[in-house]
Amino acid sequence: MKTIETTTVIEQIKRLLKDSIINERLIASNHTELTVDKNALAISSEIIIKESKFNSSLITITATDERELNNNYVLNVVFSLRAINYLITLKASINQSNLSYPAISTRIPYANWHEREIHDLFGIVPEGIELDPLILHRDWHPGKNFPMRRDFSKNNQIPITDHEIEFSVPHGEGLHQIAVGPIHAGIIEPGHLRFCALGEEIHKFDVQLFYTHKGIEKMLEGKTINEALTLAEHLCGMCSYSHSTAFCIAIESLGNILIPPRAVLIRTICLELERIASHMADLTSICSAGGFGFASVHAARLRETTLRSIYNLTESRFFRGLNTIGGLQKDIDDRSINLLAQQLLLFKSDFKELEKLILSTDSLLDRLELTGFLSREQAISLGLVGPGARGSGVDIDVRRDGSYLAYERYQVSVPIDTTGDALARTKIRINEVYESLRLIKNLIKDLPDGEILTEQKSYSQYTPTLGILESPKGELVHWVMLDKENKIFRYHVRSASYINWAGVAQATIGKNIVPDGPLVNKSFNLCYACVDR
Amino acid sequence: MFNILKMWIMKGNATEAPPNIRDGDITNWQKDLNRIDKLDKKTKHALSRSLIVRHLDLGSCNAEEAELIALSNPFYDISRFGVEFTASPRHADVLAITGPVTRHLKIAMERTYNAMPNPKIVVAIGDGACNGSVYEKTYACLGKVDQFLPVDFYIPGDPPSPEEIIKGLLVCKKLLAQKEENNG
Repeated sequence: MKTIETTTVIEQIKRLLKDSIINERLIASNHTELTVDKNALAISSEIIIKESKFNSSLITITATDERELNNNYVLNVVFSLRAINYLITLKASINQSNLSYPAISTRIPYANWHEREIHDLFGIVPEGIELDPLILHRDWHPGKNFPMRRDFSKNNQIPITDHEIEFSVPHGEGLHQIAVGPIHAGIIEPGHLRFCALGEEIHKFDVQLFYTHKGIEKMLEGKTINEALTLAEHLCGMCSYSHSTAFCIAIESLGNILIPPRAVLIRTICLELERIASHMADLTSICSAGGFGFASVHAARLRETTLRSIYNLTESRFFRGLNTIGGLQKDIDDRSINLLAQQLLLFKSDFKELEKLILSTDSLLDRLELTGFLSREQAISLGLVGPGARGSGVDIDVRRDGSYLAYERYQVSVPIDTTGDALARTKIRINEVYESLRLIKNLIKDLPDGEILTEQKSYSQYTPTLGILESPKGELVHWVMLDKENKIFRYHVRSASYINWAGVAQATIGKNIVPDGPLVNKSFNLCYACVDR
Repeated sequence: MFNILKMWIMKGNATEAPPNIRDGDITNWQKDLNRIDKLDKKTKHALSRSLIVRHLDLGSCNAEEAELIALSNPFYDISRFGVEFTASPRHADVLAITGPVTRHLKIAMERTYNAMPNPKIVVAIGDGACNGSVYEKTYACLGKVDQFLPVDFYIPGDPPSPEEIIKGLLVCKKLLAQKEENNG
């Protein structure tokens, strides 16, 4: 992959941004921070994104309240240059006397949620976009309470008032609205969906999320690293191990901790197991939303066997309490590892039958084909990640493009499908399960003996650090900054689902009919918990 | 069709025996359930009927949801105990709550509770609902459920395993029978 030299790229970016750069700082071996003026932020961002040979994308925008240090709020716009596995942060200070800056999302549309989130939580105003409330619902009296500011006390609660959800509604003959949620019919997390349909065809689709917003990022402020790890594990149940590993990677790269080889391989095995379990849950939902109960039940059976294998291995069905900074809290004995290898062999033959069943049943294929179509251009312009992007022909996977844990040595092959419909996303998941099985088999074969924990060292203060990995749902980004007592100063999580909800909204409208709505949703099968936080 | 038939015959039945409550490791539950044998005929009748559950996520980390969904898989097959999940609170016996109450869901929680007919049972599933778990109170998180609703039964765990949830729901049947008896 690394055809272009890193140094020349950085030089090139600096040349492109010319006078805008105020300061430059290397904050990790593959991460440069460029300080720019807030007025140049949007233009500079666009320049980095537009240069197609970097294959770059905006992965997160994190605001920090650094008024106690320098009277400023700071915006950190992080770009991932996938072609060379390098990170660029554009940092802009915003003085508390003037909180507005030209919006980035006028130039990069998928930055919209990031900027609205920052407006809701910090009161920093991006100029040039509509600032509908996003994270905080409408009864928050916009412009008064900004909960992520550090002077907003942790237990300060605002009285709740009953309010209506507002959507811009098209009017016309035969147009009608279908409101779904926040409490759904099945066992799903809460969110309000609003379909606007003409007959059966969906014309407009809106979502109101953030019902389960708990303010975890506020809870994390001032926590010790170990307390923060526990909370990171509880961000999301479906990908709890991905979250805790992302946090560990972030802190370990900050403290230059090299974790022992055995811990590296066990972590990688567990991440792949989590992917299999999550994909089996996705296949269960896809089959049941497609009306094929028989395959759905068998997929659920295979998910349960995976969860039981995970339990045998880690004494938790959700990998809780396994990770710690510097390695693992507990070792896994050889007997459990051998048992896992046997179980996965059985799983594979079982899964082959399920695959055959799913891909040879016309009634299901008929539901999946051409449903929820998303073109490659749409997927790129929405910045999608994970199976949602790969189903539309966008060739991204952090396991291959990045360098974390053992993936560099084990050459992940990334399945791509260009049809962009629900069937493509289903096939991607099926192929990824095979790839995960292959990886785990190789990892188990090479698993060395030895230590599982490296002692902790000191960490740099007020330096941003990132933990980026491929969770089952796609690229996951944790942005962490520690204060002078090694406690959390700011911790921002951008999960894969956060980005991909835009994909669901886009894929739902168009040629789809209302009964296909759940199927499109399930073909992405996004979490609500790690979006809402 | 042949594939489906073949798989149906070859895979057999994955359903496991119901959790052995008499040998259960949680002693006070065992006590509760042993008492069932001594109940009168009317209560036993009430106990033998179905239990309709409305699930309500008030801000959990979705691990509890994953385990509730797992209850319907062929290993646990919750419907053989007469337990069904319903879409509407209007015909639910049990409100199964997961997660600490968030600010944005408080109104939805109250409306769902009020929509349920009497007698009703509220069961808190998972540490989040039982005691707030690792989540502190913040501007958006209001904490454990029993500050807002009368909780009849707690199924703690992070998340509780499907076996524990099944045991808990069976105890809910007994509680419902008791409530019905008291109401006349």
